[in-house]
Amino acid sequence: MNGAISHLPVLPVLVPFVSAFICLLLGAETRRAHRVTGIVATLVSLAVSVMLVMQAGAGDMMVYRAGAWPSPFGIMLVVDRLSSLMVLLTDVVALSAVLYAVRGGDSRGRFFHSFLQLQLAGVHGAFLTGDLFNLFVFFEILLIASYCLLMFGGGEGRARAGVHYVVLNLIGSALFLIAVGTLYGVTGALNMAHLSVRIAEMPAMDAAVVRAAGLLLLIVFALKAAVMPLYFWLPNAYANASAPVAALFAIMTKVGVYCILRVCTLMFGPLAGAGADVALPWLLPAAVATSAFGFVGALASRNLRTMIGYLLIASVGTMLAGFGLFSREGIGGALYYLLHSTVTYAALFLIADLVVRQRDDVGDTLVQGAPLHENGRISALFFIGAIASVGLPPLAGFTGKALILGAANFTAGGIWLWTVTLLGSLFAIVSLTRAGIIIFWNTSGTPAPSSTASGYRFMAPAGLVAVLAALVMFAGPISTYADRVADQLLTPGDYVSAVLRATD
Amino acid sequence: MENLMAVGIGTLVACGVFLILRARTFPVILGLTLLSYAVNLFLVSMGRLQGGAPPIVVEGTERYVDPLPQALVLTAIVIGFGMTAFIVVLSLGARFATGSDHVDGLPVLMGDHDSDSADGAVTPPGNQSGVVMNQASSPARDADGAEGEVR
Amino acid sequence: MTLPLAIILPFLGSLLPPLLIRRGRSITAAVALTVPLASLALLASHWPAVSRGEVPRWQMPWVPIIGLDLDVRLDGLAFLFGALVFGIGALIVLYARYYLSEEDSMGRFYSYLLLFMGAMAGLVLTGNLLLLVIFWELTSLSSFLLIGFWTHRADARDGARTSLIVTGLGGLALLGGVLIIGRIVGSYDISTVLASGDLIRGSSLYLPALLLVLLGAFTKSAQFPFHFWLPGAMAAPTPVSAYLHSAAMVKAGVFVLARLHPALSGTSEWFLLVSGAGLITLLLGAYTAMFQNDLKGLLAYSTISHLGLITLLLGIGTTQAVVAALFHVMNHVAFKASLFMAAGIIDHETGTRDLRTLNGLWRLMPYTSLLAIVSAAAMAGVPLFNGFLSKEMFFTEALSLSGAGVMQWLIPIGATLFGVFSAAYSIRLVYEVLFSGPGTDMPRVPHEPVRSMRIPVELLTLVCIAVGLFPNTIARPLLDVAAAAAAGAVIPAFHLSQWHGLNAPLLMSLTALAGGVVLFFMLRDRLAAYGAVVPVVSAKRVFDRVVAGTTAASVFVTRRFENGSLQRYTLFLVGISLLVGFGQAWKWGWPLGSETNLPADVPTATGTVVLVTCALATVALYRRRLIALIAISGVGAMTSLGFVRFGAPDLALTQLMVEVVATLLMLLALFHLPQVEPRDEPGSRLARDGVIALASGAGVAAIVWAVVSRPLDSISSYFITNAKPLGGGTNIVNVILVDFRGFDTMGEIAVIGTAALGIRMMLDSLEPRAPNVPAGFRMAARSLILSSVTRAMLPFALLMSVYLFLRGHNEPGGGFVAGLLTAIAIILQYLGGGMTWTLERVRRSPQPWIAWGVLMAVGAGVLGMLSGSWFLDLTFTHVHIPGIGEIELATATLFDLGVYVTVVAAVLLIITGVGALSPAPVSAQVEPGSDPWKI
Repeated sequence: MNGAISHLPVLPVLVPFVSAFICLLLGAETRRAHRVTGIVATLVSLAVSVMLVMQAGAGDMMVYRAGAWPSPFGIMLVVDRLSSLMVLLTDVVALSAVLYAVRGGDSRGRFFHSFLQLQLAGVHGAFLTGDLFNLFVFFEILLIASYCLLMFGGGEGRARAGVHYVVLNLIGSALFLIAVGTLYGVTGALNMAHLSVRIAEMPAMDAAVVRAAGLLLLIVFALKAAVMPLYFWLPNAYANASAPVAALFAIMTKVGVYCILRVCTLMFGPLAGAGADVALPWLLPAAVATSAFGFVGALASRNLRTMIGYLLIASVGTMLAGFGLFSREGIGGALYYLLHSTVTYAALFLIADLVVRQRDDVGDTLVQGAPLHENGRISALFFIGAIASVGLPPLAGFTGKALILGAANFTAGGIWLWTVTLLGSLFAIVSLTRAGIIIFWNTSGTPAPSSTASGYRFMAPAGLVAVLAALVMFAGPISTYADRVADQLLTPGDYVSAVLRATD
Repeated sequence: MENLMAVGIGTLVACGVFLILRARTFPVILGLTLLSYAVNLFLVSMGRLQGGAPPIVVEGTERYVDPLPQALVLTAIVIGFGMTAFIVVLSLGARFATGSDHVDGLPVLMGDHDSDSADGAVTPPGNQSGVVMNQASSPARDADGAEGEVR
Repeated sequence: MTLPLAIILPFLGSLLPPLLIRRGRSITAAVALTVPLASLALLASHWPAVSRGEVPRWQMPWVPIIGLDLDVRLDGLAFLFGALVFGIGALIVLYARYYLSEEDSMGRFYSYLLLFMGAMAGLVLTGNLLLLVIFWELTSLSSFLLIGFWTHRADARDGARTSLIVTGLGGLALLGGVLIIGRIVGSYDISTVLASGDLIRGSSLYLPALLLVLLGAFTKSAQFPFHFWLPGAMAAPTPVSAYLHSAAMVKAGVFVLARLHPALSGTSEWFLLVSGAGLITLLLGAYTAMFQNDLKGLLAYSTISHLGLITLLLGIGTTQAVVAALFHVMNHVAFKASLFMAAGIIDHETGTRDLRTLNGLWRLMPYTSLLAIVSAAAMAGVPLFNGFLSKEMFFTEALSLSGAGVMQWLIPIGATLFGVFSAAYSIRLVYEVLFSGPGTDMPRVPHEPVRSMRIPVELLTLVCIAVGLFPNTIARPLLDVAAAAAAGAVIPAFHLSQWHGLNAPLLMSLTALAGGVVLFFMLRDRLAAYGAVVPVVSAKRVFDRVVAGTTAASVFVTRRFENGSLQRYTLFLVGISLLVGFGQAWKWGWPLGSETNLPADVPTATGTVVLVTCALATVALYRRRLIALIAISGVGAMTSLGFVRFGAPDLALTQLMVEVVATLLMLLALFHLPQVEPRDEPGSRLARDGVIALASGAGVAAIVWAVVSRPLDSISSYFITNAKPLGGGTNIVNVILVDFRGFDTMGEIAVIGTAALGIRMMLDSLEPRAPNVPAGFRMAARSLILSSVTRAMLPFALLMSVYLFLRGHNEPGGGFVAGLLTAIAIILQYLGGGMTWTLERVRRSPQPWIAWGVLMAVGAGVLGMLSGSWFLDLTFTHVHIPGIGEIELATATLFDLGVYVTVVAAVLLIITGVGALSPAPVSAQVEPGSDPWKI
C-alpha cells in the first residue's frame, strides 16, 4: 500500500455508506444536519469520482483488495474507464437529486438522506466490484434503498407501484443467486476476472449449464435495466416516486445496462470459448423491441411523468442496441448516448415536478389547466429537456444517435434499429409536443394562487441542463473517451490480468 | 443423495413459483419464502454434498464440505429475512392504502373492506395500467386522442 | 474567422432582445437590426473572392470520430442563399418593429427570429453535411416557436405542432439520408461528397439515400403530399410568414436539392421523383390558391406552387434548368416577401384578411396598393418584371425536354396551366382587394401605414422592377457563381432579357396571362364559394387522422401488454427465464458429469419426504392462511435439518432462528390481512400456472443434477487451508464471513438495517383499519408462549447468545446467530408480557444501534486502512478465557460485534414496529401505528 491515493477505489462505497448511518445517528429532528451531511457526502463522492476518472483515463486499472486477500480469493474492487465513468455520472445525477430534495422534498418522512446515501453506496459498489456475489450484495443494498426511497412519503399510488416493484425484484434476486450458484458450482470461481478465465477454458460439455446461467444473469440485469418484456414495473414506479427519487432512479436502470455490458464483454465475450457470445442473438432484438414499446408507450401516456418514464425505457433500448452491435463504434456511441440520456431523464423528472408543483389543479395530467406560476422559465427548461430526450440537435442526443446509427450495418437487425430509432424519435416529438403545448400553451385562467415560485429548486434541473450543454460543447473529447472505454471493454484480457495479478 | 436433493429443491421451486403467480399478497409472500429456502439449499448443493466433515478445522481431518457456499447462504439468509420483512410490511401498507390485499391493490368494490370476496376481479381493468395511472386526478382517463387536447 | 462569425452573430444576438426590451422597443429593434446587417456585411466582404469562383472556407474539428466538423464553406450557392437570409432578415426585423402590437412580447419575438436566422444561415453556409442536418433541425425548432408565437390561439398551436411534426419527420429522414451518403463516401465534407457523385449514384444504397434526402427536402419545401403544413403555419405573425414561409425556411428544401444536385442528380429516379413531385405541387398549389378567401392563404398556396416550380426545374436537372431554378428563387423571394408584407399592412390597417370583406383599398391607401400591384404582377409573370424572366426560362426548359417519356408532354401542359392559374389568382388578389367596391364596411377604416413600415416593401418592389429591367447587371453575377456551384459545372453562356423575339415560351406566357384573365372573370363570383372544396383540407385531415389513429393504436398496444397486473409481469419474468434455460439445454444438450452419487440413506429420504409434503401442503392450503403458515414453517424446519445433514451447522442455527422471527412476523401481519382467501381465479389460470411451476421446478432440479454430477475445482481450498493460520479461526464459514469476504457481510448488515428503517418509515404512514381476527386466533396468539416461562428464559437466552457469539470464530455461532438469539429472547418477552412490559425494559430505541453496529463493522475495516493496509484487513490476537476456551480479541471481533448489534437492533425494530400495529398482545397504552420510541 502506498499512500492515501491507493484507497481511492473504496471511497465511493465507504463515503456514502458511512454518512448514511451518521445521518441516522443525528436523529430525526435535526433536519438541517441531515441535509448538510447529505450534500457534503455527495460532494466528496463527486470529487473522488473525478479523481478516479482521471486515474482510469490514463488507461491503467486500479484493483483494490478489500481485506487485503489475494486475488481471486478476496473481494476486489476494480476501477477501469467504464466503472469510473459510471461512478462519476452517478454522482452528477445524485448531486442534483440531493440539492433538489433539500428544498423540502426530504421532509415528508424519515431517513431520506440515509436511504439516498445507501442507494449511492449500492450503485457505486455495483459499478466497482469485481466479484459476482459481491455484486449481488450491492444490488440488494441499492434495491432495499430504492424500495425505501420509492415508498418515501407513502400514499396509495406508491403502495401499488411498490408491491409490483419489490416482488419482481425479489424474484430477480432469487434468479441472481441461482445463476451465481450455478456458475460457482461449475467453475468454482466468484471473481469475475477469474470466472472469465474459467469459462473460457471450460470443456464443451459445460456449455449448456454455464450459458444458461449467464443468460439468467442477463435476465436479472435486464429486469433492472427495464428491457422488453421486463420493463412493466417502471412507468408506475417512476411516475409515483418523489421527484428527486425518480431523478436518482434514472441511474438505476443504467446499473442494469452496465452489468449487461460488463458481463457480456468480460465473461461471455467472443473469446469465451464454449461460453462465447451468449447475448449476441438476444441483445439487439430485445433492445430494439424495448425502444419500440417505449416510444409507443410515450405516445399513449396520459400524464407527463409516465411519458418521461416510457421515453426513459426507449432510451435504454437505444443504448442497449448500440451495445448489441458488439463493435467498438457501437459501444462507444452508446456510452456517449448513455451519459446524455441519463442526465436528460434525471432533469426531466425534476422539471416534471416543477410543473406538478405549480399545476396543483390537474398535476401532470395532460389536460388543459391553469398557466404555471413561472410558465416562462419552466417551459424553456422543458423545451430543452424535450429536445434532449428526442435526440434533436444541438444537444448530444443527436450526436449519440448518429454515432449508434452510424455503427449499425444494414443487416436485418441494423435496419430495424434504424427504423425504430428514426420513427421512434418522431413518436417522441409528437408526444412531447403534445405535452408541452397542453401544459405551457393551452392554458386557461390565472395561475393557481397556492402555486409558489420554485426558487432554488429551479437550480437543480438547470444545473443538469448545463451538464447537457457541456456534453455538447466537449462532444469531441467525451465521445473520444467513450470510444476508448469501448476499446478497453473489447480487450478484456487487460482487465483479467490486472485483477489476477493483484496477489500481493 | 443428490437425486433426493434435486427433487427437494425442485419441489420447493415449483411450489414457490406457483404461489408467486397468485393474486393476493399473502400467497405471494409464501411463495417468495419457499423460493428462498430452495435457493439456500441450492447454493449449499452447489458446493457438492459428498464433502465430508463440517467446515470446522480439526487436526487430521482432510476433507471438509465446501465452506464458501455456506458463507454465501448465510448472507443470503440474512438479506432474505430483511427483504421478507419489508415485503410483509409493504403488503400491510398496500392493504391499508388500497383497502385490498390484491397484488394490484384493487380498490374494494363494496364498502366493507374486510369482505375480501369483494376485492375485485382477478386481472384489474385496463385503467390500472401506467398509461392512465396517475394519482393526481382522473380527467386524463377520458382524454382521448392527441387532437382534442391540443386545440 | 469572419465566416463563422456571420453565423455566430445571430445566435449571440438572440440573447439580447429579452434583456434590452426594458429599454424600449425601438432600441431592441435597432439592436436586432444591426445583427443581420453585420452578418450581411461579413458575407459581402467575401464577395470578391466568391465572384472569382474561389470558395472561402473555415474549419474546426468538433466530433472527430464521426467526422462532424464545424465547417463554413462559402461557394456561390451558399453566398446567394446567405445573402437572401440576411438581407430579407434585416427587412423583416425592421418591418416587425411596426407590425407587432403593444401586447406582443417583442423581446421574445426578436429572440426567436434571430435564433431562426442563425440556424438558417448555418444551414446554407455550412460545409459539413451532418452540421447541415443539425442546423436544419434548428430551423424546425425555432420556426415551431415562431409559428406558435401567439400561444393563446388554437390555430397557432395546431399550426406550430403540425409543422414541427412534418418537418421533424423530414429532418429525421434527412439525417438517415446523410448518414447513408456519409457511409458511401466515407466523409461528410460537402466538397468531397459533391466530388464523388458517380460513386454515390453507383452505390447499392443510392436509392434509400435519395429517398430519405428527398423526404427531407419535400417536407421542408412543402411539396406534395407534405404541403399542408404551410397554410397552417399562416397562423404565425405576418413577418414570420414573410420570412420563413416565403423567403427562408421553405427554401431550405430546394436549397438541399440544389446543394446535393451534383451528387445525386442525373438519374431517372431523381428526374421522376423530383420533377414529378414538383409538377403536382406546382399545379395543386396554383389551383388551390385561386379559391382562397384568406389573403395569406392565397399567398401560401401561391408559395407552394412556386416552390413546386423550382423543384420541378431542379428535377429536370440540366444546367439551364438549374440556372432558371436559382433565378426564380431570387425573384420569388422578392415579390412574395413584399406581397406578404403588403398583406400584413392591409391586415394591420383594415383588421381583416378576408378577400370577400376587403375592397376598394385603391382609394384609401393608393401607395401601398401600387406596391402590391407591382409585386402581384411580378408573381403573375407579367412582362417587364422579374417574375416574367424566370418564368420564361422555365417555359423554355419545359419545352426543350427530350427523351423524358410522358413527362415530356405533361410538363409543358402543366407549365401553361400553372401560368393560367397564377395569373388568375394574382388578378383576383389585386382586383378584389384594391378595386372591387367602394372601400367601405371593413372592421377598421384603413389609411397609409407609417413610412418605416413601407420601406421593406418598397425596396423589394424596387428589386422586382430593377431585376426585371436590368437582369444582366444586377442578377447575373450572383446567379452565375451560384448556378456554377449548384450545377457542379461551368455555366454555358446565356443572356437574360425581356425580349427573345416571338418564340414558343413567349406565346405560352401570353396564352397563360390571357387565360388567367378569362378564367378569373368567368369564375369570379364562383371562386369565393369554392373555398370549401380545396383538396388541401383533406390532406390536413388525413394527417390529423393519422396522428390520432397512431395515438389510439399506441394506447391499445400499451394496454394490451401493460395491464397493471403483477401476475402477468411475474409470468413474463418466469417465462423468459424458462425460455432461455430450456433453450440452451435444447441447443447444447444437457450432459451430466461423471461423479458418482452418494447413496441415499433413510433419514435423508424421510426428511425429503417431509419437506416435500410440507411444501405441497403450503400450496394446497394457501387459502387458509394460518394453516399455510404452519405448513411453511415445517418447510423451514426441514431445511435447517437438511443443513445439519449436509454439514452446515451454522446455517442450521441461523435458519432456525430466522425461521422463528419470520413466522412470528407473518403471524403479526396476519392480524391485518384477511384470514381466508376468496376463490376468484379461474381453473384455467391455476392449471397454466401449475404447468409453469412444474417446468420451473424441473429446470432448477436439472441444474442441480447436472452440476453436482461434475467435479468441482473451487477456490475454497484456499479458505480451508488459510482459515486458521491467516484468519485466526477454526470455523471456516465464520472466518469467511468476517474476514475473507467481510465486504459482503458489511453490505448485508446494511441491508437488514435499512430494511428495518424502511419498515419503520412505512409504519409511520400507516393508519391500520380495525383488524379482523377470529377469537380463536387471538387465543392462539396469546397462548403462543406463556409469559412467565419467557421471562424465566430471558437470562439464559442472553447468556447463550453471548456464548455463541464468543465461540463463533472457532465453533458454530457468531454474530448473526447470537444476534438473532438475543433478539428472539427479547421478543419472547414482548409476546409474553405485551408491548408495554417490554418497552419499560428496553427503554431506548434500537434505531441508533443499527447505525452503531454498522459503523463498528466499518470501523474495524477502517482500522485496517489506518494501519497502512487495505480496508477490512483485520488483525487478531488470541486470549484464553477459562470455560469458553481459546477466543480471539481482534478487529475481527469488533467486526462481528458490529454484526451482532445490527442484527439485534434491526430485528427488534421490525418486530416491535409491526407488533405496535397489532392489537393482540399490545396493551392499551400504545395506540396502533404510533412509533413506540418517538424520542
